[in-house]
Amino acid sequence: MIAFDFEYYKPDTVEDAVKLYNKLNSNGKKPIYYGGGTEFISMARMNNRYTEAVIDIKGIPECNVHEIKNNKLIMGSAITLTDISEANYFPLLGYIVRRIADHTIQDKITLGGNLMGTIIYRESILALLLSNCDIVLQGSKGKRVVPISDICDKKIGIEDDEILIQVIVDERFLSLPYLHVKRTKHEKIDYPLITMAAIKDKNRTLISFSGLCEYPFRSLKIEEILNDSSLSKKEKIKKVIESITDKILHDIGGSSEYRKFMLGDILSRAFDKFQEVG
Amino acid sequence: MENISQIGVTTIRKEAWDKVTGNAKYNSDDIRPNTLQAKILTSTIAHGLIKSINIEKALNSKGVQAVITGDYYPALTGSIINDRPPIAKDKVRYFGEPVAVVIANSEEEAMAGVNLIEVEYTPLPVVASVTEALKPNATLIHENLGYYYCPDYTVYPVAHTNIADHVKIRKGNMDLGWSESDVIVESTLYLPKSDHLAMETRNTMAEITPSGIVNIYTSSQSPFAVKEELNKIYKIPEGNIIVHTPLVGGAFGGKAAIHLEYLAYLASSAVDGRMVRITNTREDDITISPSKIAAEGKLKIGATKDGIIKALECTYYIDCGAYADTGPRMAKSIAIDCSGPYNIENIHCDSISVYTNHGYVTSLRGFGHGVCTFGIERLLDKLASKLNMDPFDIRIKNAIAEGNKSPTQDIITLSNTGNITACLLKLKQVMNWNEGNIIKTDKGTIITKGIASLWKTSNSPTNASSGVVLTLNDDGSINLNFGASEIGPGMKTTIAQILAERMKMDVENIHVFMDVNTQITPKHWKTVASMTTFMVGNAVLNAAKDLINQLKEIGGIALKCSQDDLEIANQKIYVVHRPDIFISFKDLVNGYQYSSGKSIYGQIIAKGSYITSGLTPLDKETGKGKSANSWTVAAQAVEIEYNPENYSYRLLKAATVIDAGKVINPKAARGVVMGGMSMGLGLATREDLIYDKEAILQNSSLRTYKLLRFGENPEYIVDFIETPQIDAPYGARGIAEHGTIGIPAAFANAMSLAVGTEFDTLPISNEVIWKTKTGGKYDSF
Repeated sequence: MIAFDFEYYKPDTVEDAVKLYNKLNSNGKKPIYYGGGTEFISMARMNNRYTEAVIDIKGIPECNVHEIKNNKLIMGSAITLTDISEANYFPLLGYIVRRIADHTIQDKITLGGNLMGTIIYRESILALLLSNCDIVLQGSKGKRVVPISDICDKKIGIEDDEILIQVIVDERFLSLPYLHVKRTKHEKIDYPLITMAAIKDKNRTLISFSGLCEYPFRSLKIEEILNDSSLSKKEKIKKVIESITDKILHDIGGSSEYRKFMLGDILSRAFDKFQEVG
Repeated sequence: MENISQIGVTTIRKEAWDKVTGNAKYNSDDIRPNTLQAKILTSTIAHGLIKSINIEKALNSKGVQAVITGDYYPALTGSIINDRPPIAKDKVRYFGEPVAVVIANSEEEAMAGVNLIEVEYTPLPVVASVTEALKPNATLIHENLGYYYCPDYTVYPVAHTNIADHVKIRKGNMDLGWSESDVIVESTLYLPKSDHLAMETRNTMAEITPSGIVNIYTSSQSPFAVKEELNKIYKIPEGNIIVHTPLVGGAFGGKAAIHLEYLAYLASSAVDGRMVRITNTREDDITISPSKIAAEGKLKIGATKDGIIKALECTYYIDCGAYADTGPRMAKSIAIDCSGPYNIENIHCDSISVYTNHGYVTSLRGFGHGVCTFGIERLLDKLASKLNMDPFDIRIKNAIAEGNKSPTQDIITLSNTGNITACLLKLKQVMNWNEGNIIKTDKGTIITKGIASLWKTSNSPTNASSGVVLTLNDDGSINLNFGASEIGPGMKTTIAQILAERMKMDVENIHVFMDVNTQITPKHWKTVASMTTFMVGNAVLNAAKDLINQLKEIGGIALKCSQDDLEIANQKIYVVHRPDIFISFKDLVNGYQYSSGKSIYGQIIAKGSYITSGLTPLDKETGKGKSANSWTVAAQAVEIEYNPENYSYRLLKAATVIDAGKVINPKAARGVVMGGMSMGLGLATREDLIYDKEAILQNSSLRTYKLLRFGENPEYIVDFIETPQIDAPYGARGIAEHGTIGIPAAFANAMSLAVGTEFDTLPISNEVIWKTKTGGKYDSF
């Protein structure tokens, strides 16, 4: 049960959605864009999230695109994790989303919701960071298309009224050798202790993590270490762990020391795996 | 006349089709117009004085009808010690304790009202562990402990301390025991609090009609206790209270405690008796309502070099949280069964119930037996290892047997205890023990098997009673009415099977009144302690006897013969030596009508009852006494695969061989034992209510509180031994809780063997293993 009342809007166009947002915002309604609702509903019932108006973007055609066109994979922000998994255009992303929440919830969580939510793990971003996808945004200042690396610092930073409409991935990335390792406290489906995604692009290993720090990230510094052929496997792991200067998560899911151990273990396996791939 | 046996045969439970189609009605499905909704404001600190509560804004909030606090009809409740106000008064003692209740037209309005109440606390020092609670000059959680009324006269709270009770077992001669021992092994344990997590959260509705009838609709294991307690606490004439309990969506002991019922009654009385519903969210259920005890223990065991146990000394501290509820009785359970199903002549046991500022506690599947089982079974594995003995051998060698004495010096018989040796031998087979209990695989992993025996007795009051009423339909079928709540294991069907067997008729023709209505249902003490089959089963056999006598009496008239020549089967009464001479039940149930049209006798109504007999309280100093009529024994095993490379494991198998006495409904019995094992694995591997230093609960939702989920279960094996219990219905013993009890110990034994380190604390996660092996510091190579 959600204790407060809120208005519900389902516009048909991005323009209407943005207009609505600004109108509701100026009326003090603290509007939010709304996808599958799993985060909003579960948090609002515990008084951890408040709004007086939600703008459902699932009726906007651009947000529902899911296709490969002109060598680009286009994914609308309103497609669900189940959609991604079933179409499986991007196998690495498919693996990642199949381990986010249970199936019932995968049917609801949208790509946009997972990327923009307040729950810190946002695992689907891992594959997008590696492929440095383009993000299509639109707000009152107009539409823009930006590489994710330009706007993602700990989280995707956009204007309040901007809608994340689509994610566009270069088709080239879809077939690269990849690796996905997710470790949790117990269950197959849970928040990660660490989720690692990696791809091998022209002999370079690209790598991203969730659960290690308070935000998912891809670190070029780590990639440099990993791809430095003068270093042994052990040295690489040691250097990678030392290179993480931000706070490593420490909570009831797992201690930071354990996460470090886990990271070493995952990396060690990753090397072996990628060596097999060649 | 031939008839088919109705027991030992898998029988689809009576409510099955309603359940699998979603048609079954639980308490929350009872939706009525004009019902108000109540929500609880809870304490945000674990210990403090309530300086002020401002309810003004909430009272003026839209839809709010009333706001009540601890000053509204203050009273103390508790089945053993009256220590708990339903709404905190002057002081809060745990995080999540009710501080105010808002009653509004709708749930959202009640929630909005709750958000508007302002409470100021003066924090008090927090007692966050048993150790702190027992320190000299510890902060007192109940400063008036010495003055509380104790409905259970065998409990001994210690004034000016945090000790709610102290149970002692002094059996044999400890000096002799130690002197006969060649080896001594010591051990400690810590088992955390955990939650019941029944699928249906606790919920209650209450109304007070203009005629003064108090209707309570509640999801409860103890509808009759609800009635009795409301009578005692609020002085409502008992006959004016009617408690209604439909199907219960899981309980596991958590719905034996009376909790929301008090609040719903108070809430209704604050709004002129209108119907008020109060329903826990999952988070409320974990935080506000009682959970499982935590326990600390210290044990020491002595044995000869041949492995014969000579002495056991153990001390258990039971963390009851802020209020005792049934905590002290669970501490007593731990003491009376502290030896496990083993013959130990010299025992010194102290089991101490301690108040802390954690959430309060109540029974959870096993009623404390998980604690003493973990204690003794870990100890036995250590002893076996020290003596270089096989874990099975040491258990079989010491297995309790006819003529031995229990820790309370009760005489053991095969009938009252069953056969633990047979269980162990069968378990050894099903676990393929001969291949070894530690196997190294080619993958570099290690497969290990751990075992545990268990016994459990009911520890019920010395006057627990149960009744059954039978009425009949015109077609000669029987209506069966008794007071156990159907909390899931299918006991309504079990009792119907027992009746059908005695009546030699098809169970299909027995119709069960599925709900409990305390006004028309005969009393059943509480649906707890795995006692329903035994208690109601005996009551229904008495009712069947009454019914048969009545049928024979009138049948004799109808058939013009002596009652002694009559027998019953297939809903007929027939002459033993002339089965072709008979009369059907349907022609007798409403009296017998002669061909002339004249009628005699009238409607047949049969009854039967049962009361626990021969039980005595325990002696305060020695623990000598009789606390139960029988035990159920079982042997359990867990098989795991451990990966030493990254300190991870997975569950492969869990097995139980239980002496069921007689299996009444085989698939249902398997199901209940399997479900028990699943809960046991949850406790073993992940369940843990985590409190911080200020005793604030850290995992109050299912995002963070983990339990074993479907699909994570290992292969389950369930097998039965059938040693009849002579005084039980067809020999059947209680089996409802037992699947849970030994699994954590068996798991910890398997884990200790695999890892090569002793695990005496639960739960055991991969991280716990890593910490144990590495000291919890990560050195990057």
